Amino acid sequence: MNAPTKSPGTWAVLLAAVLICAFGGWSYAQARGDETLAYARSRDAALADGTRHLARLTSMDGTGAARVKSGLTAWLDASTGPLHDRLEGTRAKDTEALTESGATARGKVTDAALTALDERAGTASLIATVDVEVTPRTGKGGTERKRFEASLARTGDGWKVTALDALPVGGGA
Amino acid sequence: MRRTGATTLADVPDDPETREPDADTEEAGAARRGPRPRILAAVLAVALLAGGITLFVQGQRLRDTPATSNHALTDTAATAQVTGDVSSALSKVFSYGPGTTAATKETAKQVLAGKALQQYAALYGQVEKQAADQKLTLTTQVVRAGVTRLGTGSAHLLVFLDQVYEREGKAATTAAAQLSVTARPSGGRWVVVEITSR
Repeated sequence: MNAPTKSPGTWAVLLAAVLICAFGGWSYAQARGDETLAYARSRDAALADGTRHLARLTSMDGTGAARVKSGLTAWLDASTGPLHDRLEGTRAKDTEALTESGATARGKVTDAALTALDERAGTASLIATVDVEVTPRTGKGGTERKRFEASLARTGDGWKVTALDALPVGGGA
Repeated sequence: MRRTGATTLADVPDDPETREPDADTEEAGAARRGPRPRILAAVLAVALLAGGITLFVQGQRLRDTPATSNHALTDTAATAQVTGDVSSALSKVFSYGPGTTAATKETAKQVLAGKALQQYAALYGQVEKQAADQKLTLTTQVVRAGVTRLGTGSAHLLVFLDQVYEREGKAATTAAAQLSVTARPSGGRWVVVEITSR
């Protein structure tokens, strides 16, 4: 005779343990497979990455050729797709022009929101307000308030900007 | 464990004759086979319990993040409703003409509340005077609106506006405005409680 068969209590405890374990597993699987949860996480990642990249794309230290170069590298790193291709294509010209002007811009995103998110396609639309503090080589600088609309795409290295437009006044009417 | 079993059996009051052999057999069985099956069962039960609890806790941790309490975009209907309510509120309160300032003020009392209503009321004296004196008509249109945070009790939005100023006998001018807006639900719709210009 087997000892556990002799006491139904042992079997009851074991059965309860199995049930609790099964419930835990089911609960975990539900959370893992929850599409809304995955969608919410993508939304937060896209907003955070988009905000960070937008600040980089509106900033440029023009106080030297080396700084302009590293600034342009940051622009390329923040972008992908069409915007990346365009920046890559005009890189030499941009380096020259930006070094020539010597102006420095520092962009700070004051607020940002996603207006659309397609989890499956890995694309999102973002709107943001940016305060750009401009310091020209000579003369007095100032802060410009700008509003942007950006398209984002998911890459292996987080969300990046594929298109960036300063929304003009009357443009959306 | 063995002692517990014995106590339970001892607690059963009647018929000592059945109790005795029963306890004996158990004692004998345990002695013969050793405590192995019982210990195995206990270890298995503890492992299963620990596993179940760990999985449950991990699952809860996945659920209870700030990401999940924010329903912006995840709840399409609620996102559309708050965007619609706030857009309509802003375009109404920032649109007026020389003869419609009183009506706009009335509307403001319905679609604004709290700090936003106070700020609006403080500015509105100037607005009324300007509209009458300069025959100024302001038309506000929402260009883009995005929801950053949407909870059950409050929502935060970023709204881009285009505002057209028309003075009698002069060409219209358009200005851009960007507002960060906090809204609260009130009577089945969202009212604007805070406005920050960006």
